[in-house]
Amino acid sequence: MTCPTRIIEYMHEYLDEEIEVNHREELKKHLQECEECAIHFHQLKKTIALVQSTSHIQAPASFTENVMAMLPKEQKRVTFRR
Amino acid sequence: MEALVKKRIKQVLKGDQNAFGEIIELYKDRVFQICYRMLGNRHEAEDMAQEAFIRAYVNISRFNIELKFSTWLYRIATNLCIDRIRKKKPDYYLDAEVPGTEGLNMYSQIPANTKLPEEDVESLELQAMIQQEISKLPEKYRAVIVLKYIEELSLNEISEILELPLGTVKTRIHRGREALRKQLRYV
Repeated sequence: MTCPTRIIEYMHEYLDEEIEVNHREELKKHLQECEECAIHFHQLKKTIALVQSTSHIQAPASFTENVMAMLPKEQKRVTFRR
Repeated sequence: MEALVKKRIKQVLKGDQNAFGEIIELYKDRVFQICYRMLGNRHEAEDMAQEAFIRAYVNISRFNIELKFSTWLYRIATNLCIDRIRKKKPDYYLDAEVPGTEGLNMYSQIPANTKLPEEDVESLELQAMIQQEISKLPEKYRAVIVLKYIEELSLNEISEILELPLGTVKTRIHRGREALRKQLRYV
């Protein structure tokens, strides 16, 4: 691969939404000319979309009661009264 | 939300343990999710999420009320998970559940006797596969990827949660993304 390594860095700057205008222009121009980098960039974006597509899961029912039952008793009261 | 939480924390500090129950209710799903995506296993995630809340309770007097509570709580949870991952024996993976599937089945709310439509099966398999790849990441990359893309937190907040310089967080996210790309590119 003969592409400058900064192109990959610019891709990540872009994905972090922190890319400078001149970097953005260079990246855009390069991606139009280089298929390999265009594929790389597409794969990165797809990877993010896949990770974001994972379902949001919830804590088990009775989670709160379970934790409350495990809390040490009286500890805070003792420190407070001191 | 932060204002309500701070009010509850003050009540806890005065000895009102029940006020802590309300704090748990507010954050349990997000803390559980961080643990689940870090560990890839429901049972362990529940243990770690419980432990995170217990530690938060025990150390509540050390929490600086001027700061954001969720940052502090997520720090406790991610540190516990990272420690857990580091302590895991290599043979852990031999008896591990297939990550990603159990939780999804439980919450997909499909009656047991109904056949799953094909695309749902594919989707469950895909979800399990994504979780498996997240679970293969070294823990330092895993934490940033989970916080950034599943919890959707800002880079600054991640930097505070993990107590790492912003530059380090960025580098880890970049490497985490590249590692996942190599695994998921043909999906």
